[in-house]
Amino acid sequence: MRDKLTPKNIIFCLCICFLPLLMYGIDGIERFLSIDFGWPGGDYVIRIVVRACLYMLLAVGLNIVCGFTGLLDLGYVAFYLIGGYTAGLLMQRLGVPYWFALPLAVLHGTVWGLLRGIPTLRLTGDYFAIVTFGFAELFFRVVRNEQWLIGAPNGQLRGIPSPSLFGITFNQNWHNYYHILILLIFVVFITYRLQNSRVGRAWVAIREDENAAESMGINVGRYKSLAFAVSAAIGALGGCFIAQFQVNISAPFFEFWESILILCMVVLGGMGSIRGAMIGAAILGSLGEILREVLTVLTRFTEYPELVGARYLIFGIVLILLMRFRPGGLIFKKT
Amino acid sequence: MRNWFVGLLLVSLVCVWGCQPPDKKTDEAQDETQGAQQELKVAVAAPYTGGAAAFGDMIKRGAQLKEKEVNEAGGINGMKLTLLFRDDAGKGSEASLVAERIANDNEILAVVGHFNSACSLAGQTIYDRVGIVELSPGSTAVEVCEGSKWTFRNLYRDDFQGKFIAQYIDNVLTDLESVAVFFDNDDYGRGLRNAFVAEVENTELTLVASEAYERDTTNFKAQLTSIKSKKPDAIFISGLYTEAGLIVKQAREAGIIAQFFGADGIDNADFLTTAGSRAAEGTYITTPFLFGADDKKAQEMASNFEKLHGVPPDTWAALTYDAVGMIAEALQKTYNPEASVADNRTAIREHLAAIDTSEKGYKGITGLTYFDHNGDTIDKPAYVKTVKDGKFVAAEKQLGNLK
Amino acid sequence: MMAQILEQLINGLVLGGIYALIAVGYTMVYGIIQLINFAHGEIYMFGAYIALMFIVMGVPFWIAVPLSMLLCAILGMLIDFVAYRPLRNAPRLSALITAIGISLALQNLARMIWSARPRQFPSESLPSFFLSEVTQTGEVINAILLPGGGILPFRDVFILLLAVVLMVVLNMLIYLTKIGKAMRACAQNAVAANLMGIKTNHVIAVTFAIGSALGAVAGIMVGLSEVVTPTMGYYKGVAAFAAAVLGGIGSISGAIFGGIVIGIAEVFGADIHSGYRIAFAYIIMILVILIRPSGLFGKSTSTRA
Repeated sequence: MRDKLTPKNIIFCLCICFLPLLMYGIDGIERFLSIDFGWPGGDYVIRIVVRACLYMLLAVGLNIVCGFTGLLDLGYVAFYLIGGYTAGLLMQRLGVPYWFALPLAVLHGTVWGLLRGIPTLRLTGDYFAIVTFGFAELFFRVVRNEQWLIGAPNGQLRGIPSPSLFGITFNQNWHNYYHILILLIFVVFITYRLQNSRVGRAWVAIREDENAAESMGINVGRYKSLAFAVSAAIGALGGCFIAQFQVNISAPFFEFWESILILCMVVLGGMGSIRGAMIGAAILGSLGEILREVLTVLTRFTEYPELVGARYLIFGIVLILLMRFRPGGLIFKKT
Repeated sequence: MRNWFVGLLLVSLVCVWGCQPPDKKTDEAQDETQGAQQELKVAVAAPYTGGAAAFGDMIKRGAQLKEKEVNEAGGINGMKLTLLFRDDAGKGSEASLVAERIANDNEILAVVGHFNSACSLAGQTIYDRVGIVELSPGSTAVEVCEGSKWTFRNLYRDDFQGKFIAQYIDNVLTDLESVAVFFDNDDYGRGLRNAFVAEVENTELTLVASEAYERDTTNFKAQLTSIKSKKPDAIFISGLYTEAGLIVKQAREAGIIAQFFGADGIDNADFLTTAGSRAAEGTYITTPFLFGADDKKAQEMASNFEKLHGVPPDTWAALTYDAVGMIAEALQKTYNPEASVADNRTAIREHLAAIDTSEKGYKGITGLTYFDHNGDTIDKPAYVKTVKDGKFVAAEKQLGNLK
Repeated sequence: MMAQILEQLINGLVLGGIYALIAVGYTMVYGIIQLINFAHGEIYMFGAYIALMFIVMGVPFWIAVPLSMLLCAILGMLIDFVAYRPLRNAPRLSALITAIGISLALQNLARMIWSARPRQFPSESLPSFFLSEVTQTGEVINAILLPGGGILPFRDVFILLLAVVLMVVLNMLIYLTKIGKAMRACAQNAVAANLMGIKTNHVIAVTFAIGSALGAVAGIMVGLSEVVTPTMGYYKGVAAFAAAVLGGIGSISGAIFGGIVIGIAEVFGADIHSGYRIAFAYIIMILVILIRPSGLFGKSTSTRA
């Protein structure tokens, strides 16, 4: 299958969007057979799906820097944080409607993406990685320490209003589901168009050999900056969404672990593949909750009640095994 | 490839179909009556994994003790109380998922939790929307209960406690003049510190230093050295015992002789073992209750707790014990097997909201609990404990009421 | 003022010594297989727990330490054998994800085995000179009184000396022995080294063993002066990684120097604004990398993700 916007591919991407809904399927089977495992349904599953879709959006965004231009970004969460707090503060403090806060927050994220890009353009490999990590950590500390900015300790921002349009307030989970779906489809469409354009080819050329790309007349600095900007904008978009989705946000929403998790999604799915990033996000974005349910069901049949505490132990083992047997990622593109 | 693809398509179609009537499903489920139900389920949401797991552990143990006692005493109107422990890992993002999981489980009648204020707030959005009581035994941030009909807590707020400690130092220990504050840089530590610093300005004390540390770090020497250079008479550690024990130990090693103070977050035997009894000697802490000799109920709970779990209880275990007790009492008085889940959940809320004077208050081991219109506990007394011969004992002088 | 600066400098050096011990583990592995071994912080944590377990069982301290080093070395080799070796020819980032997975698994395993409660080495079974204290009368026991009133426990002196000794031994190992030569050869060009008859996998296993053993020592040292928890690997692990990069990842003297720079930057950062304590270390690190894009001692290479 070619990695282009063919109809097949479009359906494929949509399918991935719906993948976490499989949990619904189990609930449905449970109801159908009228047995009770205690498997969940309802709003809870929608929430997992929304979160998985949000991770897909972020993974697609990170994939631009990590997958297309081949730079290891360990600080992607910085843009997520900037988007979240910009939108949150604008809406909660100044009463700016969501639809205006959104573009402003995305713009703000883009600006920081470009600013971070300027000094890091000449860095390669792991030096780039650690500098991005440092930047993210600085933003995290600012939110935690500068109480005058946020208003409460620990970046605790309360009561972010839900967006409304034509008198309808979007505060139900299924509202958020369609909301994130629209954002996701938009972002995936844009990235596909970019990937198969002159820009996308330039990015891949940079990834394969920076010096060769430069000698072919590609302005490496410009294309790299563009990648940073687009990636940051998508991150900030995700942040905007989470601010209104969670209503109350705090600094730990944007800790280093989130960067790592999103990176795992991109690599797991297959670096440089948009579909891969989405599949990776669908799996890892809901794996934690699926394990929670599976283990809860299992504890009913075992004597060991602490099994649910092993959730992240199994999460880690799943990562190891997936990489062991699909080292190139689930969707591996040969180059 | 194609088969896989078609399969995926089919599955997702099924899922989309399943996705369509979610609201209906919950409505339907909520209309179901639970006439034959023998178990009353209450969720206890706390961080059982992650950095704050040590606290979740004590919360779980406190809840288990109460569950055991209630059921051994014949349950609630003959029905068994079952606690479901749900892990929020101490993270807001996980807490909102767990909250959704709990709120949509139409067997769960109320929630005891969460521990971290950030988690309580993240969960609150969902509990408010669905309508289920959230009774926190651990969130002390000022704003947790404000503006929420469904959130309650059975412990005092940071602003009360910070003020209390400042007044205690000022009025009771009059020979101390300069204070430093060393705070955990999160909502608990910083909120407490803000209240403390604000009150210090109203007293004759002078604040000479205010330093922060991060949760889960273990090296405090740099901050302690700069505190030491300011030569404070007293140091207020605004944080939790996991770090506070180490702070006291490292401070004593660095030759700091100042008097240490702490809040309820330090009330745990592990504080003494970490700091070493000689270093911790003389530390004053505030606590919502004393396992004092005159308090029979608390003594009994403490000995039962040790019998069941092999470790002494701490503040959080005791507060959770009381929170579960309150919910059990509410269930006993309001639970109607014929009514729908939503009605039962509302009845618990109404019951708790009606506890608004000291006469109606719930008498637990942590004192009398009753709520104001926000759901905050009011007038819950604070006591002072001190470390003597390697043990927490009630301080000789108590402050009584706040000015 | 001077006294305070002196005291902070010593705090920074002791912290830096520990960072250096951990950073060496990162940098040695990186030098040979270009992998950021995120699991190294967890090996360090296991080192502390294993030693603690032996001591609680009644094994004397001076025997528990080498035992823990040995077991951690085996753990390191085991991780390499089970998880990293199958990924030698896979994309570099796949191994990174495996490392993250191992880190997650080990951390939660430790929590399940030893619970999340912070633990300490029982003071009665430690050599007495580790137990420094200041008595009520102001007498200083098992510590040095610095000019200006600062106190330097013997334990911290021991940590610093041990770090120095281990670094000297490590350098001798790498520059004077046959296996050291093989390690340097692999770091320069693994394929060529293999062609010259060096068993690359064997050399990598030894590298993991040495790095892990040093990590275990660092873990025990931290356990002695601080506390042992399942999450102890995170903060120090990340800081040590920053130290390794700052010094030029792949270079051992760079890791040692980077560790000390990060330690001192962190301590003085805490003095300026304690809320940004570790952030100061990262700012220094970013500045150094921006000025010298391959770190202080690193060779200029063009690696890619």
